[in-house]
Formats: sequence, C-alpha cells, structure tokens
Amino acid sequence: MKRVLRGSVSFLLVLALAGLFSHGVFVVRGADEASSSVGEADVAVRQAFNATLDAERAGANVSGLIVRLNEAGGVLTEAKIALGNGNSSEAASKAGQCVEIAQSVKGDADVLKASALDGARTVFWASLTFSVGGIAVFVVVLEFVWCWFKRGHVRKMLGMKPEVAADEA
Amino acid sequence: MKLEDYKIVFATVGLIGVLILASPTLGLVLHLPGGEKFSELWVLGLGHMAEDYPFNVTAGVSYLVYVGVGNHMGSSTYYVVYVKFRNETEPLPNVTTGAPSVLAPLYEYRVFLEDGGNSDVPLAFSFYNVSFSGGQSTVGGLTINGVPFIVDKSVSWDPVNRGYFFQLFMELWIYDPASDGFSFHNRFVTRWLNMTASV
Repeated sequence: MKRVLRGSVSFLLVLALAGLFSHGVFVVRGADEASSSVGEADVAVRQAFNATLDAERAGANVSGLIVRLNEAGGVLTEAKIALGNGNSSEAASKAGQCVEIAQSVKGDADVLKASALDGARTVFWASLTFSVGGIAVFVVVLEFVWCWFKRGHVRKMLGMKPEVAADEA
Repeated sequence: MKLEDYKIVFATVGLIGVLILASPTLGLVLHLPGGEKFSELWVLGLGHMAEDYPFNVTAGVSYLVYVGVGNHMGSSTYYVVYVKFRNETEPLPNVTTGAPSVLAPLYEYRVFLEDGGNSDVPLAFSFYNVSFSGGQSTVGGLTINGVPFIVDKSVSWDPVNRGYFFQLFMELWIYDPASDGFSFHNRFVTRWLNMTASV
C-alpha cells in the first residue's frame, strides 16, 4: 500500500514538474514566435513602402496607398507595444493583421506601377511624335518662308533706283 | 537691314520654335533639381495651436498635445517619431553630431507622408506612482495613449526655476530605402513639465 502511495506521489510530482517546465517552454516559444511575427510585419511594411515609392517614381498617384500604409504602421506600433508588454498572442495577431495590409498595399503598388509605366510610355511616344513631327513641319515652313522672303528682298533690292543727291553748296 | 541680318533673325526664330516644339519631350526626359529637401517636426497644444501646453503636471491627470510631421523631401517618406522621457541629467539628442538621445523610446508613431503632406497625431499622457521626498520627485510610470510604461526617474528640486522638471521629447527618424534602415533625422522637439503634488 505504501509503495503504491509513494509511486503515485512520485508520479504526480513528475507530472507537476513536467507541467511547469512545459508551461515555461510554451511561454518562451510564444514570445519568440510573436517577436518573429512582429519582425516579419516590420519587413513587410518596409517592402510595401518601397513598392509604393517605386510606383510614385513611375508616375502613379499613391495617395490611397499612403493612407493604407499609415493604417499598417499604426497596427505595427500596436503589435510592438503588445510585444513589449509581454502580450504575445495580441502581438502575433496584430503582426498578422499588419502583414496582411502591407502585402495588399505591395500588390496594389506593383499593379499601379505597371499601369503608370504603360501610361508614361504612351505619353512619351505621343510627345516624341508631336515634337519630331512638329519640328519637321516647322523647319520646312520656315525654309519656305525664308526662300520666299529672300526672293522678295533680292527683287526689291534690284528694283531700287540709285538716287544722286545734288550738292547745293 | 542686310540679307545677312534677316538670316540671323530667321535662324533665331527657328531655334526658338524648335525648342518650344521639343519642350514636351524634353520635359519628360530632363529632370531639373528640385528645391531644398527637409522635414518638419512640431508639437502643438490643445486646439492644435502653439499655446495651452501642459506645464504644471500632477499624477493621475491626463494631458494632451499634438505631434506633427511635415514632409518636403521631394517624394513620399516613411518616418518614425520616438517619444522619450528624461530628467535634467539625462542626454538630449546632439544636433551638432546628429546623434539621437541614448534613452530608450517609450512610444512610437509610424507616419507615411506624400511630398508636401503633413500629419499630426494626438499624444495623451499621464503620470502614476509619483512621489516627493527629501527634495526629490520620483515618477514611477508614464501612460502614453493608454499604454503604461515604467520609467522610474527622479529629479531634484530646482531652486532657480522653483520646480521639479522632467522633459518629454520627440525624435524624428527617417527610413532610407537604400540602406533599408532608419536613421535619426536630426530633428526633435521638447516639452518641460513641472511635476507638482497637485495643480
């Protein structure tokens, strides 16, 4: 009977220790995972901003993307604060939300950039055609006007009669 | 006027015409340097005005200021504003060397702005665990926008200005896409706060 009791107590002790240890492991792992999620969210926001900047340089209107980036930035701040306060589950949840917004912004920024580049290419070729065509027409017209003017000027010069002024003194 | 003089007039008109007609394409290809690039950081009191700043503060009362950022960097910019808290012996950022304060930030704002854009965000703060003893005031904690932070800072009585002076300050950091990192943008704003037992 004593042996059975001792065995049960030992078993319960081992079980309690294992429980305590596993709780510690889970807490540490939870914090690590949350920290890594917040790091990923930070990277995702930076990538989304870089994509937005590329779209802007290509000539796209990025006002809408900037609004959503501010939203992602706010959520990232909340995730960092939750992580700092030891609230791993909230930190991981906010980080996930932030990554979602950032990835959506990045996707839209890439689409906007491609569209802006297409538009810019069209505008470039249209203005190049206008410039080259316009210059060609202008030069031809100017040459024609110059020839006409020169001919008229020469004719006018040849038609002039020399005047002799008498010296009255 | 001689024919040669008319020729010069025609050539000049021709050159001006060519430049005018080429200007749409040149405008797309040539990029002239823009104006001076800079950022703004400011702090405003209640009503978004440079007045009604909290100065005499006490524990358990919430105070509100607005932190603003303006972007004139020529393109969209990603900023981080760090909120820090110090006593009179702890360092502020060094404007000469461009180094930030070594104090750890308590709170941060992430702000994305288009060129020419500005934004101001509310900064609500209150103090807790404030004590006074032996000519010293100690602040145990500071709550910023509802988030509590343990600060545990003390200041001695200032006999000249007659108060216990702490300082709340904000640093502006900017994201550099080339290095994929943030750097101190050499701008900060401060607010002196006189801790009192009751206002």
